[in-house]
Amino acid sequence: MHPTFIMLAFTALLLVVVAVVVPRLGWIGKLLARYNARNIMVRWPITLMLLAAFTLQVGIVVVMLSFVRGLQNLTAGSSVPGNVLVLSEGSTDELFSNLGYRDVSDVERHPLVMRDSDDPDGKPLASWEVYVVVNQPLPLPIIHGRRLGCRFGEESLKLTLVEAGGPLARAGVKPGDSLSSWAGIPLNSLEDIRLLMAGKQAGVIDIGYVRNGAQLSGSLNLDNLINLERSRRFLQVRGIDDPARSLKVHNLKLVTGELFCQAGVRAYGEGDQRRTAVEAVLGEGIARTLGSDINKTSLEPGDMFSLGDSAQPFIVAGVMGSSGSTFDSEIWSKHSLVGRKFGKDSYSTIVLRAAGPIEAEELAKDLTNNFKKAALKAQTETEYYSSLNQTNQQFLYAILFVAVVVGIGGVLGLMNTMFAAISQRIKDIGVLRILGYSGPQVMLAFLFEALLLAVLGGLLGCAAGAIGDGCTANSIISSGAGGGKSVVLRMTVDTPILLAGMATALTMGLLGGLLPAINATFIRPLEALR
Amino acid sequence: MFWEQLDGSLLPLVRTPGATLQVTIYEFLIAFVVLGGLAIIPQSLFYLGFILRNLWRNKIRTALTGFATIVLVLVVTLVWTVLVFLANVTSEKANNLKAIVTERWQIPSQMPYSYAARLTEGAPREPGDVRIDPANDAMTWAFFGGTLDPQNRTRENSLFFFVMEPDRFLTMMDGIDEMSPTDVERIRAAIAVMEKDVTQVMVGHDKLVAMGKKVGESMKISGLNYQGIDMECTICCELPEGRYGQAAVMPRERLNRALDEYERKNRKAHPLAAKCLNLVWLRVPDTKAFQQVERQITTSAEFKSPAVKIETASSGVAGFLDAYKDMLWGLQWILVPFILATMSLIIAMAISISVRERRKEIAVLKVLGFRPGQILILVLGEALMVGGICGIIGSAGTIAYFNLYLGGFKFPIAFFPAFLIPNEALWWGPAIGLGTALIGSLTPSLSACNIRVSEVFSRIS
Repeated sequence: MHPTFIMLAFTALLLVVVAVVVPRLGWIGKLLARYNARNIMVRWPITLMLLAAFTLQVGIVVVMLSFVRGLQNLTAGSSVPGNVLVLSEGSTDELFSNLGYRDVSDVERHPLVMRDSDDPDGKPLASWEVYVVVNQPLPLPIIHGRRLGCRFGEESLKLTLVEAGGPLARAGVKPGDSLSSWAGIPLNSLEDIRLLMAGKQAGVIDIGYVRNGAQLSGSLNLDNLINLERSRRFLQVRGIDDPARSLKVHNLKLVTGELFCQAGVRAYGEGDQRRTAVEAVLGEGIARTLGSDINKTSLEPGDMFSLGDSAQPFIVAGVMGSSGSTFDSEIWSKHSLVGRKFGKDSYSTIVLRAAGPIEAEELAKDLTNNFKKAALKAQTETEYYSSLNQTNQQFLYAILFVAVVVGIGGVLGLMNTMFAAISQRIKDIGVLRILGYSGPQVMLAFLFEALLLAVLGGLLGCAAGAIGDGCTANSIISSGAGGGKSVVLRMTVDTPILLAGMATALTMGLLGGLLPAINATFIRPLEALR
Repeated sequence: MFWEQLDGSLLPLVRTPGATLQVTIYEFLIAFVVLGGLAIIPQSLFYLGFILRNLWRNKIRTALTGFATIVLVLVVTLVWTVLVFLANVTSEKANNLKAIVTERWQIPSQMPYSYAARLTEGAPREPGDVRIDPANDAMTWAFFGGTLDPQNRTRENSLFFFVMEPDRFLTMMDGIDEMSPTDVERIRAAIAVMEKDVTQVMVGHDKLVAMGKKVGESMKISGLNYQGIDMECTICCELPEGRYGQAAVMPRERLNRALDEYERKNRKAHPLAAKCLNLVWLRVPDTKAFQQVERQITTSAEFKSPAVKIETASSGVAGFLDAYKDMLWGLQWILVPFILATMSLIIAMAISISVRERRKEIAVLKVLGFRPGQILILVLGEALMVGGICGIIGSAGTIAYFNLYLGGFKFPIAFFPAFLIPNEALWWGPAIGLGTALIGSLTPSLSACNIRVSEVFSRIS
């Protein structure tokens, strides 16, 4: 069940408890508790405003914490406790690691590395990987956060697609045309359009285009361009040798399609048009992202996409079930192909599977200290991914800072209300004291009133913040020493976060209510009744 | 005139206590001028006195509401500082723009140093091509990560060098205009030293503190990305807090010599020797020149293995910030509106309570002849007075505390370690305070106008 519903149900239950049970219990007594609860109802406009303020403040805290929890879950979900990650010594991240095959070929023969039980030769459970980040221009020309509604051919101004009814279509441009000028200025590349947009972002301009050798022109209304925000994306590519074993080492499974073949390429097209494409296995997250480029929910086996230059396209062989891990944003392909293509022929990482966490620690220590052929930095995957939590820590500190400062605002607001409540009810306090209630009892009664408001506001805030549960967001995780991974995280509102939200509300209630409540104890009965 | 100083050019000034005080006094002066201007309106002084007396009457409430406004203005100012800075660095400029040349496909970009000579000229080939002045309008960067203790590497004992031509630090790097003239002069002197002795380096204030080092001291840096390269360096200058507080600068020649030495000792080139150029910065006069240089570089056969790309600095930075896009969206569209709404609610509560307590008073005023509009002004005035004044205090206090005491707002995003609160923030505070006060007090003010005299007095009787 969604946390919002749980919190709303809990709020309703608590209201019943407050209304029915609390007045009958406790030291402050039924009469006093009922008196405080009724007073909250009587000044309902102020109560509602205060609850709204609490709801907003607790809601902010819950949403921000759910973001950090999403990052934490991601790093925790990416590591296998028995795995050891081997990098070259001094590397702070996979991105900067270089392992020569000759130098480290016998690492996988370490006795603590497990053997693949499904392999007839009992090969070691080791994944040899190269990790590169590719700076990929988007297939759609995104200019100043706006979209022309077309697709250009790779590295050219020739349009391969023009959206029907889109801004360019309205200017008379058709697929196959080449844009030649923008507001009278000749164009050399897509970058030129982006720059020219810096000067003029609204109104109507003349554009020139070439169709079958003929120079044509049209009017483009810049106000019609569609909002978008990115011009390029960083794609994380992992080149591997044996995809079946790598999946096994990382505890991942294919959800659809198949693994790439030994050669890593597949033929497509027919006759003279027959070409080869590089096969790739995609994480579910990146499959969705790349799918959105061609108006699909997700890329599927057989779909093509561009990675690097357009000389050789990539074809989806399969999609792996990687949700909740950093592999969700990765493209896996044949090491020998992507390594060469992106200028990293060596390996960046070897991931070894040990029998369990203790053996993994032992293996990591032994490789770091005793492996002589090359200087290595071996660490358990758990250790590696927890080092990537550095970003999470920074976010957490920022959230704590915001929570404290915003909380001060809430405390002061509540204090205002409670001081006003007391000054309005001085005579009531006098009567209560004459009826026999002691100063501490009156103090507790007003504190109860403040806490009741805080609890209600906290519950509503938690319910509001819990709406964010399950939402996905892009972020980055890194050790803070360069590198890092772009990830798609799922915001998570769990019990500790809801408790943190409630703790924030109660702290605000306590701090905001205490001073006015203490103030109430100093009111002298007779003076109050004068 | 003082208001001429209050535009964006004031940035170096607000880094000194005197300047912050000066600008804050200006703001208060403007506020008093505005209030004084009101004096020419009949009865306005009477209203002002009435408003001040009412605020003074319940000092605790005024103080609590004001303090709440100050702390919430602080948060909004910090968030807007980050957002405005990032919006500025990612917005395209039409003139005097910077371009970045990097490896086309891979991150991090690693190009051979042999590319540097031609790239820093803009790779002109034909007559009429744009030629960049490499001595003034170009800069190369390499990144050298090192540690003082390779056996026990920590965040504190590790540092990150920009390996570059020292003289370009003041002419090509961003954020120099945020430094005080004293800092600039100090760096200028250090650059002269670095050009004579390549073992001299500049290190940021925060990094020096973390490492426990001082200017004049020597240190041995063991390369992290450049494995096997250790360097003896002497710190000749401390870079001020803020953007370069965690950074360090080393002469390009120093790395080149270290790579040569490695080759001599090991009889083979360092693995990164052919990849030791990470970025090339170019300054071009306008977009037309950029287009031409872009054509020259991307069509040149000299830069094909690896291939390179050229983009404007703003476009490059925007690409790197993409990973933070959702978080920044959340700050802009969830956190800030929620805080502004909270501020409005806090003010609304305070004014509502105040109106509720003074129903009899307002009824008496009406009996004395006050019109609803005049009562509206009185109640709104209280809220606006608290919001405006506390807004000024909030923003000026934020600038003073973060820029002067903490050396900027340290919220590391991408490669920006800290953000200096900009001058504009001095206006954000009063604007936020007045805006939220107006929204928050509108309903209670209207309800004060609509108080029925007969109803109030019938209750009393």
